Amino acid sequence: MGEDLILELKGITKIFPGVKALDNVQFQLRRGEVHALMGENGAGKSTFIKTITGVHQPEEGHIYFNGKEVSFKGTKDAQELGIAAVYQHPTSYPELTVTENIFIGHEIMKGGIIQWNEMNKEAEKLLGRLHANFKVTDEVGALTIAQQQMVEIAKALSTNAQVILLDEPTAALTANESQELYRIVDELHEEGVSIIFISHRMEDMYRLAQRVTVFRDSQYIGTYDVDGITEPELIKYMVGREITDMYPKPEVEIGEELFRLDNLSKMGFFKDVSLNVHAGEIVGLTGLVGAGRTETMEAVCGITKADSGKIILEGKELNIRRPKDAMKAGIILLPEDRQKQGLIMNWGLGTNVILPIQDELANNGFINNKKEWEIGKQYLEDVDTKAVTIFDPATSLSGGNQQKVVVAKALVQKNMKLVIMDEPTKGVDVGAKAEIYAIMGDLAKQGYGIILVSSEMAEVLGMSDRIYVMCKGRVTGCLDVEDASQEKILELAMEQSGKEVE
Amino acid sequence: MAGKSGRTISATPQGGIKEKIFSWEGALILLLIAVNIFGAVLSPNYNMTNILRESPRYLAEIFMLFGMAFILVLGDIDISVGSIVCLTATMGCLVSNKGMGVGAVILVCLGVGLLCGMLNGFVATKFTELPTMIITLGTQIIFRGIAEVALGDGGSASMTDIQSIGILRAKVGPVPLSFFIVIICAIIFITVLNKTTFGRKLYAIGSNRTTAYYTGIEVQRIRFFSFSMLGFLAGLCGLFLLASTYGANTTTGNGFEMEVIAMCVFGGIATTGGKGNIIGGFIAAFIIVCLRIAFGQINMNTQLILVIIGVMLIVSVLIPAVTNAINSRKKTKKA
Ligand SMILES: Nc1ncnc2c1ncn2[C@@H]1O[C@H](COP(=O)(O)OP(=O)(O)OP(=O)(O)O)[C@@H](O)[C@H]1O
Ligand SMILES: [Mg+2]
Repeated sequence: MGEDLILELKGITKIFPGVKALDNVQFQLRRGEVHALMGENGAGKSTFIKTITGVHQPEEGHIYFNGKEVSFKGTKDAQELGIAAVYQHPTSYPELTVTENIFIGHEIMKGGIIQWNEMNKEAEKLLGRLHANFKVTDEVGALTIAQQQMVEIAKALSTNAQVILLDEPTAALTANESQELYRIVDELHEEGVSIIFISHRMEDMYRLAQRVTVFRDSQYIGTYDVDGITEPELIKYMVGREITDMYPKPEVEIGEELFRLDNLSKMGFFKDVSLNVHAGEIVGLTGLVGAGRTETMEAVCGITKADSGKIILEGKELNIRRPKDAMKAGIILLPEDRQKQGLIMNWGLGTNVILPIQDELANNGFINNKKEWEIGKQYLEDVDTKAVTIFDPATSLSGGNQQKVVVAKALVQKNMKLVIMDEPTKGVDVGAKAEIYAIMGDLAKQGYGIILVSSEMAEVLGMSDRIYVMCKGRVTGCLDVEDASQEKILELAMEQSGKEVE
Repeated sequence: MAGKSGRTISATPQGGIKEKIFSWEGALILLLIAVNIFGAVLSPNYNMTNILRESPRYLAEIFMLFGMAFILVLGDIDISVGSIVCLTATMGCLVSNKGMGVGAVILVCLGVGLLCGMLNGFVATKFTELPTMIITLGTQIIFRGIAEVALGDGGSASMTDIQSIGILRAKVGPVPLSFFIVIICAIIFITVLNKTTFGRKLYAIGSNRTTAYYTGIEVQRIRFFSFSMLGFLAGLCGLFLLASTYGANTTTGNGFEMEVIAMCVFGGIATTGGKGNIIGGFIAAFIIVCLRIAFGQINMNTQLILVIIGVMLIVSVLIPAVTNAINSRKKTKKA
């Protein structure tokens, strides 16, 4: 072959109870290349990464590192060879400091004593290399998601990794933060580190990778040069069919004003937020992470309480004290964090979906299994979840499929008027994304109001009628979609008004 | 409409009788039978009549099992119940000695129990960041402290009128009244936890409190209700204990909280919340009661009995962990 491969996998098969997650797949990583791994939700990407790091042991297959066959009994084995990963769902310890997180499991010791000073210095060096703007003594839980990701990358670097695996590193990042990540990957690339990264975003692949490998339904489809492949071709390989319209936004007659916020404020989080939504309208709400979008929406939904201001639905002012009040009024929230706020991970999918309406389905408080199963199945199929039965625990689903369950759980609530979707397509594949957009369009057509909180520019521009931009807790502008552009939004999102939330 | 890919998802539940028999509850029933055979071999006096005669003291403790199961499923804990039992029995006794009738005694015991429970619930829901272990450790000391003050220097009180409270010792044939209360409670609480949406809310809160809250479940109200309910049941326990011991002292109810928690854990209810079933706790309670009666009849040292129960408890927590590990390994191999 003559190719300089640092890592090669052949004939890998990995089986979970009832599911073949990887079916005889192969992969070749050239020394020093950045290689994208793409495919639908549940295609087996994360599982594949975990077989490379020794988390999972494949049932069949061979792994070659620098041309020599190796086998990993556990994560230590892979680590020793210089393979490190940043997983899809963060594995950091929020109560520990940055240094502690970086060195957990391979602390620097001398004579059985942990060398804190040395570790802090080492950690500072790593953060410096990543141009991080936080301190090694900060608690990880207090950092933004993007910063936490940097900690994970620093952790990977701290092992002097030759091969770094990144599982959906950009899923939780805004456009700006993604730029940061690109820069880091570029630098690693220049230093000669070989990188595999997973993403559902085409722009990531085009920007970073030299080659791309596609998996579909647990199988290897092919490896292509990024320069020689078009987006529709790639989508076809991934999804198995062509997607003609990514943003299927229907023509909707915009109705009367449905919902309005008047000067909603909460100290330290957001100030004087005023916005409105009409019936049948999709309103985008965007900004940088930390702009106060999620906090504002959580106050609307009763998760927290605003200090002042009015929440008005259909002309009537609402007094929302807890989530139930908002739900009763018809305001439905699809929360941002699927594992912590959206789902009960060890429960069955069906029960997760019908949980918000279980009282309505019940007979005098008694659980009505038949009805629950029927409705659970219907909604899970509507969002095209990849699962075997509705009794599978949410933990057994791939990240994107978990997100679909959260969407189903929001949709199941029938008496809704306003639907607030916080990053509804985070980690969702192209096919399913188009599906969720179609559902949003459907909802708009039926006259519901929709607020789409999102950091993904293409999605905000593709689906919204109007776009509000927030910066540092304030609304800095509202654009009609016809006049909006990525540049204009970014300008508003980074506007240095000088006024912080007091 | 099904999704674009036309994938379908099965909605037919799997598993059947086999799973039921090989469940933890099934194993507990076998153990209960074994314990009874063991008891009969060990002690010549181990028969139905004697068990029923000795049972009221233990049955009163089982009342609290049901409330504690709710609390543990919620992911909380209440270690103040032993003190609530002490306080209610003390108050009931003092009220009776003031010459008030049995109606007043019943009202006072249940009322004091309920109030104590409500206090626990109030603090736990107002200061959600405090662990309930610490809160109820505090109230445990407070409740027993109040009882000690009320009992005065002697540290004990006995009932002067032991006649009127006799109705609580009523029997149907050889079966004591408290046995029927336990059965009725069992039916109600098991049904609520397993069959109703309220029961599922408890599991939801115990499994992931944040998600439960985001889903519109009234997390704090349900926690308050559950603590109050457990306080009420502790009052009921104090009442029946008073009726069978004719008095109270500073050690009344000592260690009850741990015994009740032990029954729950032995029955498969995890202290981490969201897991387990009262049926298991209910059977486990009878296993422990039968063992104690059997060992008691051969005059075994009470400390030794506690050691044996402690060992059983640890084994019971280990077994599921070990079998789970083995099962999951088997499954991955087979598939
Ligand atoms: N621990 C597990 N137990 C059972 N099944 C699992 C487990 N982990 C993953 N699976 C299954 O394996 C398949 C592949 O999952 P994987 O997480 O690798 O997908 P993915 O390609 O990373 O998807 P996504 O883009 O949604 O993250 C899925 O069908 C999933 O349900
Ligand atoms: Mg994944």
